Amino acid sequence: MTETMTETITEAPLLQVEGLVKHFAVQGGGWRNRGTVHAVNGISLTLVRGETLALVGESGCGKTTCARAIAQLYKPDAGRVRFKGEDITGLSRRQLRTARRAIQFVFQDPFGSLNPRLPVGAIIAEPLVIHGAGGKRERTARVAELLAAVGLNPRDAERYPHEFSGGQRQRIAIARALALRPELVIADEPLSALDVSIQSQILNLLKDLQDEFGLTYLFITHDLAVVDHIADRVAVMYLGHIVETAGREDLFTRPAHPYSRALIDAVPVPGRGKRTSHAAMGDVPSPINPPPGCPFHTRCPRAEDICRRTNPPLMPAPGRGTAKGPGAHLAACHFPLPATAVDGS
Amino acid sequence: MTVAVTDALRTPWQLLWWRFLAHHGAVASGAVLVVLAALAMAAPAIEGLMGIDANAVNLFNRFEGPSLAHPLGTDEIGRDVLLRLLYGGRVSLFVGMVAAAASAVIGTIIGLLAGYYGGRLDTALMRLTDGVISLPILPLLIVLAALDLNKIGLPQAITQDENISLYRIIFIIALVGWTTVARLVRGAALSVREREFVLAATAQGATGMRIMSVHILPNVISPIIVATTLSVGNIILLESVLSFLGLGIQPPIPSWGNMLTNAQELIWTAPALAFYPGMAIFITVIAFNFLGDGLQDALDPRARGRS
Amino acid sequence: MSRVVASRLFESILVLGIMSFVIYALIGLMPGDPIDLMIKSDPKLTPADAERLRAVYGLDKPLTARYWAWLGAALEGDFGNSRLHVRPVLEVMAPFLLNTANLMGLSFILSLVVAIPAGIYAALHQHSRIDHVINLFCFAGISIPVFWLALMLIIVFSVMLGVLPASGIETIGGGGGVLDTLRHLVLPTVTLTIFSIGSYTRYMRAAMIEVMRQDFIRTARAKGAGRARVVLRHALRNALIPVVTIVALSFGTLFSGALITETMFAYPGMGKMIYDAIMGNDFNLALVGLLFATALTLAGNLIADITYGWLDPRISYRKQGAGP
Repeated sequence: MTETMTETITEAPLLQVEGLVKHFAVQGGGWRNRGTVHAVNGISLTLVRGETLALVGESGCGKTTCARAIAQLYKPDAGRVRFKGEDITGLSRRQLRTARRAIQFVFQDPFGSLNPRLPVGAIIAEPLVIHGAGGKRERTARVAELLAAVGLNPRDAERYPHEFSGGQRQRIAIARALALRPELVIADEPLSALDVSIQSQILNLLKDLQDEFGLTYLFITHDLAVVDHIADRVAVMYLGHIVETAGREDLFTRPAHPYSRALIDAVPVPGRGKRTSHAAMGDVPSPINPPPGCPFHTRCPRAEDICRRTNPPLMPAPGRGTAKGPGAHLAACHFPLPATAVDGS
Repeated sequence: MTVAVTDALRTPWQLLWWRFLAHHGAVASGAVLVVLAALAMAAPAIEGLMGIDANAVNLFNRFEGPSLAHPLGTDEIGRDVLLRLLYGGRVSLFVGMVAAAASAVIGTIIGLLAGYYGGRLDTALMRLTDGVISLPILPLLIVLAALDLNKIGLPQAITQDENISLYRIIFIIALVGWTTVARLVRGAALSVREREFVLAATAQGATGMRIMSVHILPNVISPIIVATTLSVGNIILLESVLSFLGLGIQPPIPSWGNMLTNAQELIWTAPALAFYPGMAIFITVIAFNFLGDGLQDALDPRARGRS
Repeated sequence: MSRVVASRLFESILVLGIMSFVIYALIGLMPGDPIDLMIKSDPKLTPADAERLRAVYGLDKPLTARYWAWLGAALEGDFGNSRLHVRPVLEVMAPFLLNTANLMGLSFILSLVVAIPAGIYAALHQHSRIDHVINLFCFAGISIPVFWLALMLIIVFSVMLGVLPASGIETIGGGGGVLDTLRHLVLPTVTLTIFSIGSYTRYMRAAMIEVMRQDFIRTARAKGAGRARVVLRHALRNALIPVVTIVALSFGTLFSGALITETMFAYPGMGKMIYDAIMGNDFNLALVGLLFATALTLAGNLIADITYGWLDPRISYRKQGAGP
């Protein structure tokens, strides 16, 4: 699946996001200076059918907001979201109905994303009910089918969410997402709330389901190990900006943006011993008052004057494969890292 | 009482039940109300058992004291007091619970709309709610109860109906009594709206109606039940004072309130007649208040020291 | 802050204005037409006279026109004449207002004097026998029908014991003077106050318990302050905040209770005046009386809002909204 990504794609991308912007006003009791949280600042992405794009970043970088804005759960302040060529930005609930069959969302919190008052069968069948897909008998059959597909017992349909563990509830959420045979699944940190031992189970389940049903994933995560396992391509996010997009292999071996490099270096690998740290300096600035210029310049060991003044656009990183198409390796940096492989491999 | 079993294994309803049972006053009240309701429902049967007609006027038998034939004596025109109490109880309980339910329905609809949609609809509905709350209830109800229905333009068929006073009092109480539930539901809806399963439903294309009825309503139903239970007592008090003033339930339909209407003139000759109906109201209202209080404690985890 | 007060005040006045129209319309729907009543009392009036009178009084005009006429006069201080008392409305209201003020004021003070210490005591001795007894009394207080309580008190103290008067504000034929008035106020005040005591005590108790649970009380104790000092200084001040709010919000309920109490005891106050006016088809008087009751309730709500917002800085006055 990965090797073909660098060829030119003839089919139109499944999802196109251009210049997505979402800001929030800070509400506070009696506070005088109300600020704005610049959560998403001009994000652009493309997803091709069948691939998994991982959106990586640390907490607070705006990944969840971005995912929800793409799904139109938040109304974007600017930018366009195109699904299968059709512009779905800012459409009304009714207009979004068709698109919402094909785009499904899996949330981070397995305890919050299931209605505690409904039995699991009703939860999974809800998309079917909403879109009028089949009568009661067909729905019951489909629910049983889906429960089996995610590794649960079809008889669990009568039980309630609180009777299940976190991992099982996430399976239920995934089953719900699959009910209408979607084309795109946006998974917002689906593993982060789970125990480590369960994470790999669910991750494997997601991979298997992707193969079985031909799904496309937009996978939000902060965990690079997960990215390594599941992603075809990666987009690195920092303070509401995409700072690098690349194929998985490319990103891990030849990161172009200093922030990506810092992220990768921060992952401890047993047996590797002490290495030169390219880690970023200092703390993440607040998204309420983002610094001018490049968002990363305050922590970048390579920052120069131009970095403080101008925000670099995503440009092809030198010396790294194709310069065009979704598979291109782009970085938003005035001084991208040279294309020497990390760890000398 | 062992609470050692982990809460996670019990359904929310079971937890509620256990906590409620710990409330002795509430449980006793519940029992009292069940008995009262049963007695009231059984009024015709008891009437048959006693072999008397509840409405039979017998001017030779006025103001009798308690006896075997009339356990609580007779009233100013010879009717059996006990049977009148039971039939009156039927009406008062009926009005209390139906009006409470009607208020709850109106309040829930308004609260859900305001809480879920927010924005201008919320502002408008809350302004309306604030307006109604700021009205003095009793004077307003008196005016509403005293209105000439013919002037409003209701057809004669309705205004001359023998049960009109019953429908009317339920209607006017529901008209002003929905505000507490509305505020409650709005607050609860505001918080439930932010939960992820609501977002999930939106992401699947659910309509506002569906989200409010399937997702938000079941998760706010507990406070609604508590508030409604607590409101029954107050409604019974309102109905009884209106009936007492001659504005509520009209004779010949008996109600605890209108049984007391003539009592004021009779306090010098037959004070006992003033005692029973009022006592019945008192016991019923205090029982509903205890019950509601117990439900409230059972449903509110903060009251138990957990936060 | 004062902007908020001004806006809430403006809102209250707006509500009062809207209510004046609603009440005006409702009063018009009461049985009995002023002209019909005139005809009943003067059989010599011919239908032609009735038509003329209607035109003179403007009763043939539509509702909104009549309302504006009334409003215009009202804003200049002319509220019309009371039909029952055959005097200008405001003149009629004044003594009733005073009597009700006395009754409500006395009841208010009495209820606070009893409820606040009782609530504090119950909170400090939570779950003790006394606490349960107090709690029982509170529930009884808020559950008892006011008019029945009045009847029972009259039966006990006037009929059976004969020590207190059953009605009025002064003994007929002789009497007058402060002591007589006070004797007449005892039963009505007690009747009116029972509900308030029950209600306020519960809120005081709940507020004290809530406040005492909070961290800063533990800190104050850890600093070595004596228990009484801790209670009186820190807890009480904070517990009084929600209680003040609740008390202000209960103006309307207090007035309703006064209405029943006055009617039961034939006490010549605003409540009885309103009731008699409604029953007696005295439109002008009923209208103004009801407006007064509304204004009183609105004032209570306004005070509650302001003190709540002022004393609790965490309250935000901004409203949130989110679309689908």
